[in-house]
Parts: sequence; C-alpha cells; structure tokens
Amino acid sequence: MRVPRALRTVGGVLSAAWLVFLLLASVTASWWLPYQVDAQDPAHTLAGPSASHWLGTDDLGRDVLSRIAAGSWISVGPALLAVVVAFGIGIPLALLAAEHGRWVEHGFSRFAELLLALPSIVILLAFVGAVGVHPWAIMTVLGVLLSAPVYRIFLGQAQSLRTRLYVDAARVNGVSSLRVNLRHVLPAMATTIAVQAAQLFAISVLIEAGLAFMGFGPSVPSPSWGGLIAAASQHVYDDPWLMVPTGVVLALTVIAANGLADAVGGGREREAVPARHRKPRTTVRAAAGGTHDAGGMLLDVRDLTVAVGGPDGHALVTGVSFALPPGTVLGLVGESGCGKTMTARALPGLLPAGVEVTGGSVWFAGRDSAGRDLAGLPDKELRAIRGREIAVISQEPMVALDPMFSVGYQLTQPIRRFRGVGRAEARRIATELLGQVGIVDAGRMLRSYPHQLSGGMAQRVCIALALTGSPKLLIADEPTTALDVTVQAEILSLLRALVRTTGLSVIIVSHDPGVVADLCDEVAVMYAGQVVESGTVAEVLGQPAHPYTAALLAANPHVAEGLPVPERLPSIPGTVPAPPDWPTGCRFASRCSLATAECAAPVPATPAHGAAKVHGAANHATGTVRCVHPLSSPAELPVPHPVERGVPS
Amino acid sequence: MLTYLARRLAFAVTTVLAASVVSFLLVHASSGSPGAITAGAGATPAQVAAENHRLGWDQPLVTQYLTWLGHAASGNFGVSLIDGHNIWSDLMARLPVTASIAVFATLLSGVFGVLIGVAAAVRSGLADRAVTVGSGVALSLPQFWIGILLVYLIAIKAHLLPATGYVAFSASPSQYLQSLALPVITLTITGTAIIARTTRTGMISALRQEHIRTLHALGTPPWRIRYVHALRFAAAPVVSVLGIQFIALFGGSVVIEQLFALPGLGQAAQNAIGTNDFPAVQGVVVIATVVVVITNLVLDLVLAAIDPRVRTA
Repeated sequence: MRVPRALRTVGGVLSAAWLVFLLLASVTASWWLPYQVDAQDPAHTLAGPSASHWLGTDDLGRDVLSRIAAGSWISVGPALLAVVVAFGIGIPLALLAAEHGRWVEHGFSRFAELLLALPSIVILLAFVGAVGVHPWAIMTVLGVLLSAPVYRIFLGQAQSLRTRLYVDAARVNGVSSLRVNLRHVLPAMATTIAVQAAQLFAISVLIEAGLAFMGFGPSVPSPSWGGLIAAASQHVYDDPWLMVPTGVVLALTVIAANGLADAVGGGREREAVPARHRKPRTTVRAAAGGTHDAGGMLLDVRDLTVAVGGPDGHALVTGVSFALPPGTVLGLVGESGCGKTMTARALPGLLPAGVEVTGGSVWFAGRDSAGRDLAGLPDKELRAIRGREIAVISQEPMVALDPMFSVGYQLTQPIRRFRGVGRAEARRIATELLGQVGIVDAGRMLRSYPHQLSGGMAQRVCIALALTGSPKLLIADEPTTALDVTVQAEILSLLRALVRTTGLSVIIVSHDPGVVADLCDEVAVMYAGQVVESGTVAEVLGQPAHPYTAALLAANPHVAEGLPVPERLPSIPGTVPAPPDWPTGCRFASRCSLATAECAAPVPATPAHGAAKVHGAANHATGTVRCVHPLSSPAELPVPHPVERGVPS
Repeated sequence: MLTYLARRLAFAVTTVLAASVVSFLLVHASSGSPGAITAGAGATPAQVAAENHRLGWDQPLVTQYLTWLGHAASGNFGVSLIDGHNIWSDLMARLPVTASIAVFATLLSGVFGVLIGVAAAVRSGLADRAVTVGSGVALSLPQFWIGILLVYLIAIKAHLLPATGYVAFSASPSQYLQSLALPVITLTITGTAIIARTTRTGMISALRQEHIRTLHALGTPPWRIRYVHALRFAAAPVVSVLGIQFIALFGGSVVIEQLFALPGLGQAAQNAIGTNDFPAVQGVVVIATVVVVITNLVLDLVLAAIDPRVRTA
C-alpha cells in the first residue's frame, strides 16, 4: 500500500501519533485513569509530580493527569465540530459559486466578506450571553464564522479546477455536476482541505481553550484544558508547576495539528533562498589563469563546463567554446534543453542557485582591462561587470520589471549608479534611452508601472534598462519568444538598429534559426550541452555540416514564399536526452539518420567551413563541427521524419 | 479610486448595521429579559413585566431596533441595566486601554516580526530553521498561558513589573507604560511569530521573482535588491496580516484583559455578557465592529499605497 504523504516525514509521523494517542486516551480514559476525576486527596494538595501522582495534584488534591485525560474530549471535540461545520458550509458554497457563475458567486462572496469583517470573538461572546455556556453550540457558531475564510480559499481552487481540461471534458461528456464535483473537483482539493482542516483545528482548539479560560467553557466539574489552566493561574504564586502539564499537552496538540498540516502540504517553500551566490573556487578554473591571447576578441569562451551540484554533479554544459569579435552578433541556437540559456547565463555569473561553472574560461576584454577570465571572478567583481560591461535581457518582459516601482524609478536608479549623475540628469538620459528603443511618449512611459505595459513595450523598456550602463556586450535570451509575431519583428529590427548605431556586440539565444539568420553574423549550434557546429551564418545555415543543424533547419516551419506548404510539419524524431543520459559518443546519434558504429566513440570538434584550426581567436575565420562524418554538400541532407519534408526557408 | 472608496464605505456601513442586527437578535433570543435584571431577584412577574414595559421590551422587534438605531446613531447606547452608567461614556473611557495594548503590540510585532522574518529568509540555514521552529512553538501556546508564565517569571520571581492592573497615562506616564508592559509583551510574542512567518515566506518568494534576476543582471547591490525591491514586494501580505492582528487584538484581547485585570473593552464585553446587561452587549458589539471596519478601510488605503497594481487597477 502506498504510504500517505503526511506519514513520509518524521514530523508528520510524530504529529499523527500524538493526535491518535490523544484520541485513544480520551475515549478510553474511564478504563485506565489512575484516579476518579473528582477524587480528592486532602493530604496531598498542590503537590508536585510524584510516584503516585505523575503530574502532581491540584488545590483539592485531585490527580492532574487524570483530569487532563478526562478533559481531553471536551477540549478537543468541540473544536473538531467547528472544523466540520466550517468545511460543511464553506466547501459546498464554494463549489456552488464556482459552478453557477457570476451572480451566485457575487452573492456568496459578499456574504463571506461580511462574516469576515465581523469581530468574531465578540460575536461569539454575545452568543454565549444569549444562549448560555454550551461548548458544542458555541463551537458550532465558531464553525459558521470560520466558514467564510474556508469559502474564500476553496472558491479560488474550485474556480481554477473547473477550467482544467479534464474537468471540462467530463462536463462536456454529460457527467452530472454533482458527479463532476465528487469525482474530479473534490479529490483534486483533498490536499488543501487536509492542510486547512489541520490548521483550522489548531486555531479552534486555542479559541475554545481561551473561552474556557474566561469561564465560558464546560461547567466547572468537568475539567476542560482551558478551565484547568484558569484554575492553575489562581495558584501561580504558590504552585506554578500546576500550569505546566496542561499547557504542554495543549501546546503539543496544536503543534501536532500544525505539523500534520505541514507534512500533508509537503513542507512548501521549506528552503530559503541561498543568501549569496557562493562561488566555490575550483582548481579546474585556477588553471585558466596567466596570459591569454585575446586576439582582438571581445569574448573568448573555451571549454566552458557548467554543472549542477558542484564538480561531481551532473554537467549541463560541456566543453563549449566560441569567440566573439567586437560589434558582431552571435546566435546560440538549438532545441529546448540543449544548454543555450545556461551557457549564456554562465558568462556574467548569473547561474541559478546550485548551478556553477566547473571548468573552462570566459575571457572578456573589459572596458578598462586587456581582458580577464570571468569564470574565475568572485561574485563581488562580477557585480561590477554586470550592467556596466555585460547586460542581459530576458525571455519574459512582462515579469522582468519590478511591479512595485515606476518605469522612471527603475531606469533612473541604475543610470545614477552607472553614470554618477543626479536625479534630473538621470531622467534626461532615461528619456533619451527610451527614444533610442523607439518609445515616443517617454514622459508618459516614465510615469507608468509595468502592469500597464504591453509585452512589446515592456521588452523595449527592458532593452533600455540594459543600455543604462552602456555595456559592450548584450546577452538576449529568447528576447522575442513570449511576444506576438508582429511585435517580434519590431523587437528584432530594434535590436538590429541598436547593433548598427552603437556597435554593441550581442549574443542571442534562440530556438528559431529564422531569428538567427535574420540578425546574426555568426552562429553556434548547441545540442545536449555541446556546440556541435559553429561558423558564420551563411556557412552554417547555408551549408550545414552537422546532421543536427540540417535537421533543425528542415524542421523550421517557415516556408519560403512561392513554395508549397508541406502537408505535415517535419520534425526531428525523439527528444534531446537529459544530462544524465548523455552517451559518451555522439550525443545526437540516437536521433540521427546517418549514425553508424563509429558514432559511439567520443567525437572531438574539428575544423569546418574552410577553417584551419579549431580554436582560433587569433585567426577568427573558424568554423567547427563535431561529427564523425559531416555533410559535405546540401544534397546529403538527412531526411527528417516524416517523409513529406518541408523546405528550409 | 473615488468609486472604489465609495464602495468600501458603503460596505463598511453595511457591516456595522449587520453586526448591530446580529447582536440585537442574539440579545432578544436570550431566555432572560432586561426587566428581570432591573427589577432584581425576587421580583413578582408583574413587577418584571412593568419594568420590561418601561424599557420598551414589549414593543415589536422592528420598532425596538429602529429606536435603538436612532439613538445609537447619535452616540446614545442607553444606560447599563446593572449600574445605570451611560454605556457610551463607559466604553469611551475603556477605549484607550484596549487601544494602547493593540497599538503597542501591533507596532512591536511588526518591527520584530519583519526583522526576524527577513533575517530568516536572507540567512537561510540554521537561523532559518530556528525561526521556523521558534515561531511554530510560540504560535502553538495559548496567549493566556504565555501571559501567566510571564507573570510568574517577570512579576513574581524577578519583581520587575507589576503583575496586573492599569494606570492611566494622565495619572503617571511611567506607571502607565509599566502596567502595559506584560500584556503587550505577551501579545507581541505571538504577533512577532505570525509576522516573522509571513515576512519569511514573502521574502523567499519575492527573491525568486524574475524581476529580481533583472536587478542581479544590472549589478544592483545586494542590499538594494533585498531591502528595497524584495521587501517592498513582500510588504503587502505582511501589512494585511498586521491589520488582521490589530483587529484580533482589539476584539480578542478579552482573555488578556481578564488575565491582567485591565479595564478595557474586552473586560466590558465579558462583564456585560456575564451579567446579561443587554444594552451593554449591543454597544460592545457595535464598537468592536466599527474598529474592525475602520481598520479594514485604513488597510485598503495602505495596500493601495504599497502596490501600484491595486492603486491603478
């Protein structure tokens, strides 16, 4: 049998054990209690723990352990009732509201808001005043009041569940709405229900104890925990111990309920974000020091290796090399999961937590130095390079700007830091930059907030933001993927214009060979963490030497004008292998129609496209290919599956 | 913004009216009658009936409610059945006591909670676990239990502060602060735990946002990323919880006021209910609801000031 998730953690097991123990103890109390609840022992009043009274005695000499055990059901039961009532009202109403749309939802929600706005404890007390002290009735009223937050939480859940396809499909298939709710919606909510129920139970236990403490609990002879603590508080001067046992049992019960909620919820966001980007110095990278012939390159990446979980972890990028002369645009192209983004983010040291550069070098000719290895720099020094020398624009412009601050603040703040200017001058520069990225009404844009912008506008602002430090290198990670097709073209032409007017070097990460052909001078094709082919755009895209490049081009859905649209879109069979599954030989072999036995051996990068050697910062006219039998002419193009093949644009 | 404000105000008035109806109905659902209380024990049914007639208890419910509402609107909640004191002025005299506790405890919880929560989120590791466990324990102990423990440790053992009682600010500012210290500390322990948890969760999720990556890519100093951008992003839920806490302290400090013998609104509620003082019960419910409603309005304005998405929506 599958172990419930709640019982897979130590906390979950202990919490569940305590609650079960409590339940059993309270139900069976009359059989094992060492003393009658009201048995008085005048000889031993207010005694501490002893062999005969494990937890001591109270002011009338009654056994504390017996009283706590006997009082457990009346202390916990009504709280359980409150939870049952709250969910019994809240969840059906939430399901109804989600099902019947606007008006019903509107009515229920206003009512819930009203309940939430009432001072619940005072209302509860007024109820006690009206009907007298009846714990079960009082906790039922508490349950009604708590149904409002329950409704709130589950309305959101139910609404989003109802839009899920499988729920929709069931409804379209004529399954009755009750059955849809019972079979599909409720089970999907089970975890949240369990978590919320446990938390609500904890709250109810505390509220009930508070009421009992004030004297609004069960009548005096039956000892509820709150009442026991109230009685103990009378003796805080002469017997403070009396407070401890009941308090601990009560606290343990609440801790157990919360612990169970945590365990069921799977300990969400347990881990805090690692404070700093710690950059462990590895010996691999120290070797890259010393002199380096940058050969006039802006960037020279050699044998870059990026791994998750340290040098012994899984490599995500292996042996990546490429170079970038000033003023050129390089495209990193490949399918998703090939390591393009990791490579790009490794350059300015912006890898996600847990991922790090474990080998190779990243030579960068900075503004004020002949060049240095960024891969060996501590985070503090990289910070001085970010924005100032290397800027990054991200995939998702809509979430790349801080929603809390105006565009003006977000632009002028780095401008002032980078250029050491005052507020007014920074605003002038910001206006200028916005003009440069094609935003006409800059004054209005500076006053806007990110949520008021369209995707295209947000990406323009992000580009302006990247220009605040006048960087020499811009890294654009899929800059147009999240945008509408027409906006994509605008952003691409904006980038092209920026390259022309500012002499900026750009690395563009893209899965779209069309974008690369459009914008780039050079291209590096990546597959499964390696560069499999590189060279100028004309060479690589015009005469691909690697079967993967050819397949990628063939799978491009763009059809040149005048040519027939293929009946089926060609695709590369299979998927990119995950890093742990990389073979020692050619990583593309399993999907390659030209693969032979030779492909099982490791494949080095070899010169291609007329280049004389692989690493050629000094002689940059290089192309490389990593294939045992590279294609020599376009006629040799491997035909991707299916057979009806598209024509590369 | 104006229509938004108008809608919030209309909702506020509705809430207060609803609370007054609920308390009115609860009072009338009770088995007793005000006449039975004013006539005293041992009164004949005829005497009780005469008293009820004098108090208007025999009138139709709607007439009674509207009469009460008319008076209440002009700040007249009637007189106590027990001691004949004016209920409005009695509650107004008690308001500063409860308000002092609520304001001090909320402010202190806010300051300590945010500091601890940010530290836990930013430092991670052992500090983070300590905060999570510590706040979990603090939230699992009933406030009155913590209060008694503090009375024992600080008042009885160490003789540092008075255990119970209240001294008005006008009588002696230093004794006023001393008399508030223990109840405020008690409430601040729980409050700090809640705020620390909210802040921690908020900061952790804020630091994972995409826009924080943009800031890293611009070489923004870490202190600015944490304390300007991430903290502002995490502020909205923290402020909401602070508001909820303030409400809870105002309406729910009944237990604490009893424990520390403080003459506040909570004590008034407890007395009124314990003695079936019907008009006083109604007065307390209405005042408590007004406090909740005003707090919610202020909360809405603060949230709008923090988050432009709320402000300009």
